[in-house]
Amino acid sequence: MSELWQKRLLTGLGVAVMLLFCLLPFGYMVLTSFAQQPDYLGQASFQFTLENYRAILTAESLHFLEYLRNSLIVSGVSATLAVLVASLAAYAMTRLPLPGKGLILFGVLAVSMFPPVSIVSYLFQVMNTFGLINTWPALIFPYIAWVLPLSLWILVSYFAQIPRDLDRAALIDGCSRWQILTRVVLPVAAPGIFSTLLLAFIFAFNEFMFALMLTTDYQARTIPVGIALFQGLHGQIPWGRIMAASVFTSLPVIALTLMFQRRIIQGLTRGAVKG
Amino acid sequence: MKLTHDKRAAALFILPLLLTVGVFILVPVLGTVANSFLRDVTFLPERYIGLANYRALLNDGAFWQSLRFTCLFTLVSVPLELIFGMIFALILNQALPGRGVLRVAVLIPWAIPAAISGRAFELIYNYSYGLANYLLQNLGLADEPVNWLGTGWGAFFSLVVADGWKTTPFIAIILLAGLSAIPEELHQQARVDRAHFLQRFWRITLPLLKPVLVVALLFRTVQALRIFDVIFVLTGGGPGGATNALSLYGYQYFVSGDFGYGSAISVVLFALALVFALLYVRASRFQEEMR
Amino acid sequence: MLNMLQRFFLLIVMVCVLAACRRGGEPALVLAVGGAPSELAFWEQVLADFSEQAGIRAELRRQPTDSDQRRQGLLIALKARQQDPDVFLMDVVWLSQFAASNWLYPLDDLAGADFDPSVFFTRVLNLVDRQSGALVALPVYIDGGLLYYRKDLLAEYGFSGPPRTWDELLEQGAKVQAGERSRNPGFWGFVWQGAQYEGLICNFLEFAASGGGGIYRDGGFILSSPANERALSLMRSLIHEKRISPPSTYTQMKEEDVRTTFQSGNALFERNWPYAWPLHQQDGSPVAGKTGIAALPHFPDGQPVSTLGGWHIGVSRYSDMPQQAWELVKYLTSHRVQKRMALELGWNPGRSDLYRDPQVLEEMPHFAELRSIFSYAEARPMLPYYSQISAIVQRHLNAALATRSRPEQALRAAQAEIERVTARYRIESEKSDHEFHERHEFFGEKN
Repeated sequence: MSELWQKRLLTGLGVAVMLLFCLLPFGYMVLTSFAQQPDYLGQASFQFTLENYRAILTAESLHFLEYLRNSLIVSGVSATLAVLVASLAAYAMTRLPLPGKGLILFGVLAVSMFPPVSIVSYLFQVMNTFGLINTWPALIFPYIAWVLPLSLWILVSYFAQIPRDLDRAALIDGCSRWQILTRVVLPVAAPGIFSTLLLAFIFAFNEFMFALMLTTDYQARTIPVGIALFQGLHGQIPWGRIMAASVFTSLPVIALTLMFQRRIIQGLTRGAVKG
Repeated sequence: MKLTHDKRAAALFILPLLLTVGVFILVPVLGTVANSFLRDVTFLPERYIGLANYRALLNDGAFWQSLRFTCLFTLVSVPLELIFGMIFALILNQALPGRGVLRVAVLIPWAIPAAISGRAFELIYNYSYGLANYLLQNLGLADEPVNWLGTGWGAFFSLVVADGWKTTPFIAIILLAGLSAIPEELHQQARVDRAHFLQRFWRITLPLLKPVLVVALLFRTVQALRIFDVIFVLTGGGPGGATNALSLYGYQYFVSGDFGYGSAISVVLFALALVFALLYVRASRFQEEMR
Repeated sequence: MLNMLQRFFLLIVMVCVLAACRRGGEPALVLAVGGAPSELAFWEQVLADFSEQAGIRAELRRQPTDSDQRRQGLLIALKARQQDPDVFLMDVVWLSQFAASNWLYPLDDLAGADFDPSVFFTRVLNLVDRQSGALVALPVYIDGGLLYYRKDLLAEYGFSGPPRTWDELLEQGAKVQAGERSRNPGFWGFVWQGAQYEGLICNFLEFAASGGGGIYRDGGFILSSPANERALSLMRSLIHEKRISPPSTYTQMKEEDVRTTFQSGNALFERNWPYAWPLHQQDGSPVAGKTGIAALPHFPDGQPVSTLGGWHIGVSRYSDMPQQAWELVKYLTSHRVQKRMALELGWNPGRSDLYRDPQVLEEMPHFAELRSIFSYAEARPMLPYYSQISAIVQRHLNAALATRSRPEQALRAAQAEIERVTARYRIESEKSDHEFHERHEFFGEKN
């Protein structure tokens, strides 16, 4: 068998495994979101309904769309700011004379290892002092800090790969460090920046503990906590609605992925930087 | 003069990072460390007790059980996720038709918050009408339904799968970002040298991917040590405490009002993560590459 | 470059200021409750009515259903001595901790002469709402474990009524299960809550105390006892030897799994809380009209026991408007609101007078039986460090149910671990600590 065919066979197999692994549970969630009862794989039979989607989109008491809006804004803003802050820092670490780089990099990682539950009561007091409980900033600031270590590490490893000759050339042209970062390094690192942005966004999007403690209702609560509120007093779980909400929630992320996909290709084809 | 200018730029560039992390993470973390030396229980007067919380941990069987589980879970799940994440990334990096769709497919699991995907897996593992037992029985692999979460190991691997479903894509995306930064010329050169694609992977791709690989490994390890949501939803620590991860154990104390003991557990978890992190950073010689 | 950075910081500052401006305004009463959307909608309405009637602005702080998360939310606010929430609902098992932490306003200080506590279940008030003699909370909603049974199946197999002892339950369960399996392979004799969570303690207490066992009595832990061993062995044999309870009992059986199993016609007996009743009877339920309720069975030498659950309302010690908060408490526990709660949510009010209300009885005929069942109510240990005890006991009981350890071994280990772990909460040695003298009375003996 030729190498090409070996490779094709392996790739095909890999694609099959990958799709099965990723999509089977998701497909099950989609199916359940259209089912009247979640036990259709047992003795009951599958009965199709759009009721779950209707409920999450129209039932005011669920506040689903408000939770979604809060999630998008909070995650979007904090991911953007975090990547901005991390880009600045990563540039300084890879390009500028800075004492204790390794220490900073490692320290930032280290403090982020703390279980969120142990710092949430401090954050509550801080946010309360500033009257920020149940507002977007109450989540945005901790989230920036929360996703910073990840963004920083990825970006440092990225920036480290970008040739320093570019900087030198720009410096000779009379650019300031800020201009080098925004006009030279960031465009070159665009694919990395965007995948970092996406990761940071999802990271913030998934956060549960801070959102639970620092917000009190639908004015600022995010999706994960919002969906946890669907549950009844004795643990009645409205599976259909939860699944409908999850499927609907993944739509913005799908959109983002498609966007990021375009950006990566864009970044790679910016010919001038390839060398 | 140039250098001092650069120094000022460096300080300014690093400042936002230090401020945010300092105020929102470092200070509360230091507070937690300080708290671990206190008897900080809501219904008792606060008092400095030195290392008493830590000494109590040494004699706490449940603590050792959860420490063991946490380490084992990390050591099993992270390598598995890394292998599959690497395979996914290699596939995604190929010029396949419908690549965009594939990338979306891989990202979906990660996009779904753990608090929700945990719920989905709760349904999947359901004894009487879950997907797992449905497939098992209809594919003729078993006659009786399996009680997935019923035994220590069953629950363990059920959690590995449920967690891996969410985190393998994370690794895949980080590695993909690293792969797309490898210059195509290197591969072309190797192809001219008639190297087999597996050889090319070992000789070119893997070494160049090492820094990114370390980042993925580091973050996944830290996350795996801290695992919470999935267990909270799926097993609640059962059966019989077999899956009571350290973070869940600490949470139980924070909820019940013993902040001092909960803080001590957090600090242990932190120290554990720190050891892993140090090992990786040393092994990767990350700092050299930064220079 | 500087310019850009400055702008960036300016942006952050502006966001802060803007956000801060959004807050403010006149103070309002804040009520913290959790629950499903329909439950929160109910509280929202009730609060709006209260605001209108009393002329006091009141807001709802929405909490999730998960009781750990609810407690953590309250804990953080109270530990930080927040003025809000002013009023909150507490699970019955938190009461001693909240009282011992000095977070609850003594209601006797707020109540006027017109307040009559005798309308509530006296046994409940004495068991849990009075801490060291002071009334610190009132029952809004009370719960107790019951036995649900299939009237039609018992009759079909020639049994005259529900089991009164555990042996009878075993016999009836085994016979009906064997017969029904030919039609329905997924049929079980008895479903109950055995997963590792608080519900397991409730179930265990009912088994154990119905034969003289228990967890805590007269200031000491009594876990390792023959009565408890007998109870735990019975629970275990239901799953592994008699096999009339499913193997998933100790992994996934919580209230809802138990209820749906019974409700889909797959079980003869069910141990659950009263909330399952209206759901069983609703239109389209396969067991509607075929279900009966009774007190749980007991051992020959014991009597039926029902674990006391439910939610109690209290006023925060740090409330900036305690008198208005008390008005709200009075309103929420008033006959009118409690009746509305019973009719709209199907919850069991803490006021005993409603169980004789003709309108309530007409809509919820089972309330007549509930009243007598609640009189068997047994409280879980009323100790400030109950949650530590619960976590330990849950773990060991669950391990025994999973056959990871033998019953007597599990109980002995649980007892030893409790003694060890809770040693640091016992403060006998601190009797000299004067400032603390008042609190120490919460330890040791209850009543």
